[in-house]
Amino acid sequence: MILDNDNLIPIYVQIADWLENEILCGNIGSDEKIYSQYQLAEMFTINPATAAKGLNVLAAQNILYKKRGLGMFVVFNAREVIREKRKTQTLNTLALNLVIEAKRLDLDEKEILDMVSKIIEENREG
Amino acid sequence: MKIIQCDNVSKAYKKTKAVNKLSFSIEENTITGLIGRNGAGKTTLLKLLSGFLKTTDGEIKVFNENPFNNLNVSCNIIFIDENMSFSKQLTLDEILIATNSFYPNFDQTMSRKLLEYFSLDKNRKHSELSKGMTSTFNMILGIASHCALTFMDEPTTGMDSAVRKEIYKIMLKDYIENPRSIIISSHYLEELEDILEDILLLKEGTKFLHMPIVDLKEYAISFRGKVEDVNSLIKGRKVLYEENFGKDSIYVVIQTNNFQEDLNTAKANNIDVNSVSTNDLCIYLTSPKEGGISNVFSKE
Repeated sequence: MILDNDNLIPIYVQIADWLENEILCGNIGSDEKIYSQYQLAEMFTINPATAAKGLNVLAAQNILYKKRGLGMFVVFNAREVIREKRKTQTLNTLALNLVIEAKRLDLDEKEILDMVSKIIEENREG
Repeated sequence: MKIIQCDNVSKAYKKTKAVNKLSFSIEENTITGLIGRNGAGKTTLLKLLSGFLKTTDGEIKVFNENPFNNLNVSCNIIFIDENMSFSKQLTLDEILIATNSFYPNFDQTMSRKLLEYFSLDKNRKHSELSKGMTSTFNMILGIASHCALTFMDEPTTGMDSAVRKEIYKIMLKDYIENPRSIIISSHYLEELEDILEDILLLKEGTKFLHMPIVDLKEYAISFRGKVEDVNSLIKGRKVLYEENFGKDSIYVVIQTNNFQEDLNTAKANNIDVNSVSTNDLCIYLTSPKEGGISNVFSKE
């Protein structure tokens, strides 16, 4: 992954997102040890303090837990926590942006919903 | 533990005050970026901290001692800049050997590997190197010395961007293996910012900001939209920069205490919103006068 510095999303959040993706796709399983701040710092060429902040974000959301002296580990139900969080936050924001843009273009509710249905349909076939 | 402590430090050259009532402290094992416009006092500050210059006023403590004329401080610091003078007779290899005798933690093996990596011939003389190669060699010296406190003043002058990128990567890797305190001044903030922990921004010889770089990223936010929409949204806020463009559009950068909240409000009001690059933000914050370039060209 390449970090994007012009992005609205801070680097440490981008790190947290990347780690979440690794957990979601099963690369790091429940109760497995996650990358240390130093490993992340080397992988992404960032300051270890920035990497630590990314890890702490996930710890605060009960996705990771600390084992003293051993590092951070993935919580047993981390995938469910991430999925639930993304549904309520990320997806909600995307939907909000969709509605704002549609308003700018004077689209009505039906047109938006039709568009979404169409995309769902297309992706089902593909 | 605090490795550097400055208390009301001033340094004057004749009548000009290069550093003016500067107070700050730096924690052990951090990488700090020293940023500021030309003449903001960066080099003077680094020379004061290294003990090359004596303060006019105030107190500096490096490893809890006054660095000026101090052997204990000298053997634990290294100061890298483009004016490092080595004997014209010495080859790069001989300089490495000499440096090794000064610094107990000097990593000979690594320094030679790095010379090879950057295709620097160890039998060449330092005075024969190109500008970029001189900077590369000096920086290798700074990294391999493994000093408890490393100062680098514009270390990448003349390097091409590939080398700049690589050498910072090497520095970070080495810092992870051998934690120590590093202070780097540079005008190329975008290439440096990712490896920094803290940023110290100087303006006219004094401290303007000193904070973790991740916090600086959320220090300001930019809005772009119709003049009236934007103006009603930013009423009472501290504007750091503004620029009119198009028929009735405006771009403003404002200080923010709640990045997420401002982001959402702007979005809800149909205003384009963006983060401000650290580099641009530092330029806005240290801008000497109101107005900007257009004032220079204005005929009024």
